Amino acid sequence: MYLIGEFREKKAVAEAIRALRAGGVTPAEMDLFSEEPIKLPRGVLDRPSRMSLASVLGAIAFGSLATAFIYWVQHNYRLVTGGMPIFSFWATGVITFEMTMLGAIAATFAWFLWESGLVRKRDRGAPVPEADPGSIRLRVRCRVDDAPQAIESMRRAGAVEIERRNHD
Amino acid sequence: MAAAPELLPYKQIREDLFRPLSGVSRRYVLATCLAFIVGAAGLAAWVYQLRRGMGVTGLQRPVFWGFYIVDFVFWIGISHAGTLISAILRLTDAAWRKPVTRAAEAITVFALMIGAMFPVIHLGRAWLFYWLLPYPNSRLLWPNFRSPLLWDLTAIVTYLTGSVIYLYLPLIPDMAQLAEHNTPWRRKLYRALALGWTGSDREWHALERAMKLMACIILAVAISVHTVVAWDFAMSIAPMWHSTIFGPYFVTGAIFSGIAALLVALTALRKVLHLESYLKWHHFNNLAKLLLLMSLLWLYFTLAENLTVWYGNEPREMAVFGARTRAQYAPYFWTMVALNFVIPFVLLGIRRLRTIATATIAAVCVLAGMWLERFVIVVPTLANPRLAAASRGYAPTWVEIAITAATFAAMAMLYMIFSKLFPIIAVWEFKPHPEEDED
Repeated sequence: MYLIGEFREKKAVAEAIRALRAGGVTPAEMDLFSEEPIKLPRGVLDRPSRMSLASVLGAIAFGSLATAFIYWVQHNYRLVTGGMPIFSFWATGVITFEMTMLGAIAATFAWFLWESGLVRKRDRGAPVPEADPGSIRLRVRCRVDDAPQAIESMRRAGAVEIERRNHD
Repeated sequence: MAAAPELLPYKQIREDLFRPLSGVSRRYVLATCLAFIVGAAGLAAWVYQLRRGMGVTGLQRPVFWGFYIVDFVFWIGISHAGTLISAILRLTDAAWRKPVTRAAEAITVFALMIGAMFPVIHLGRAWLFYWLLPYPNSRLLWPNFRSPLLWDLTAIVTYLTGSVIYLYLPLIPDMAQLAEHNTPWRRKLYRALALGWTGSDREWHALERAMKLMACIILAVAISVHTVVAWDFAMSIAPMWHSTIFGPYFVTGAIFSGIAALLVALTALRKVLHLESYLKWHHFNNLAKLLLLMSLLWLYFTLAENLTVWYGNEPREMAVFGARTRAQYAPYFWTMVALNFVIPFVLLGIRRLRTIATATIAAVCVLAGMWLERFVIVVPTLANPRLAAASRGYAPTWVEIAITAATFAAMAMLYMIFSKLFPIIAVWEFKPHPEEDED
């Protein structure tokens, strides 16, 4: 089941998350919903990311493939170069650079879609609370037996309203 | 005195910024129709050129690059507005950027789309544009990867892809909000583009990370794109093109014209969409100062470029230098100096004279001056080649003028349509976060 707590202040949300985590709820079972990005202090609800790594790997992959492709083309379908080398990094450097950057762009965008959950639709059946301007809603996935304790933690932290919801 | 936008309630900010999306005024319809007519005239001129061939243009030996290449370089330069204002200011966390970033990013995308059309128009046989793509023809010949024209293709494709994503990413949260209450077709459009955005912290985290990474990437790409455009010229050994500073000179000019385009666009948006509470004097003042700085930098590069040529006194270089500064092209050259340096320096350098109106006048002058700069770089060199006997002038025909005018109309039309479909100021970004300062 899901509990959805409505908060008005960021500090109260942070307090509730700390209390819930102390009670055994994991960060993966919690989601915040708001109309603006909420920055919580480090360690409260961190979302580790590998987007930078994905971006670098995308860049390396595209750059290497593009360079290898040009090398292959220039050696297999030779042009008259007037005594210049058939393949030269000087001449292909620009394309290598641009393709490297294109790889970084594509990987960043793809990883954004994946990491944000927009394409995965994680917890497809989970209820999505509507966050009004100024409010922050905390969705917690928990077992029915653990609900009273979680409700108490949220109420003590300053939740103005708590709602019980099942899968949509 | 009106309240600072940061102090306005979020509901009002949302209403103010979403209001321009609904309803169309008579003036808007008239302006769109006018832009459409000019654009259609340009399209007709292009069709005429396609049917009759490149002979209908003023391009002939030895001047094979004319208005089309001037327009290409100009529009690619304008596209630097989004990159500079949005990416640099985002990375440096400058708070004043918030109301101007989306307007700048939109300029980038539309200017790039328009700029990228010119190599195809310039090809003459536009239907063969795919020969530029890296695949072999029936004789197993691939495009020449050494050619700066192929570098252009890869650079522009990369920049356009990155710019579209860079514009799209921060639009997602706004589109999710717009999908809530709207007319049925708009709701469908926004819902599809919002990709099911719910406003969860995972989505916000991913968005912020992606925006920071994209800002870094797009900066490098933007600089490379205009450097590559400069190398189209510098890689040849034509007089006054074969210069090592052409890359940074072009990048400076591009950023310069980009800021000018942004200033003009912001003035129009402020007036037409009644955004006086959001686009304030200090935004224009900061942009005006940036414009002044770039004007001085542009003057420095122009002096460095011309002084070394004059001092070298190499005959063929001096022929071009003379054509630019004393002969046939001198009126363009000196008008360019007046528009790019003298007028902005007076209007923006003297503090008492610096207002929104004068900043806009200076920006319009810079746009005209930068277009002339591209013309002065492209045409005199080709008109005075190393083979002196081949020298000849260039005069554009009505076809080139109509197509050039159409691109300005197309830019205006695309911008007007965009401002009616999407909020021109990022609503979610504009909302203040006072608690963050405490952390």
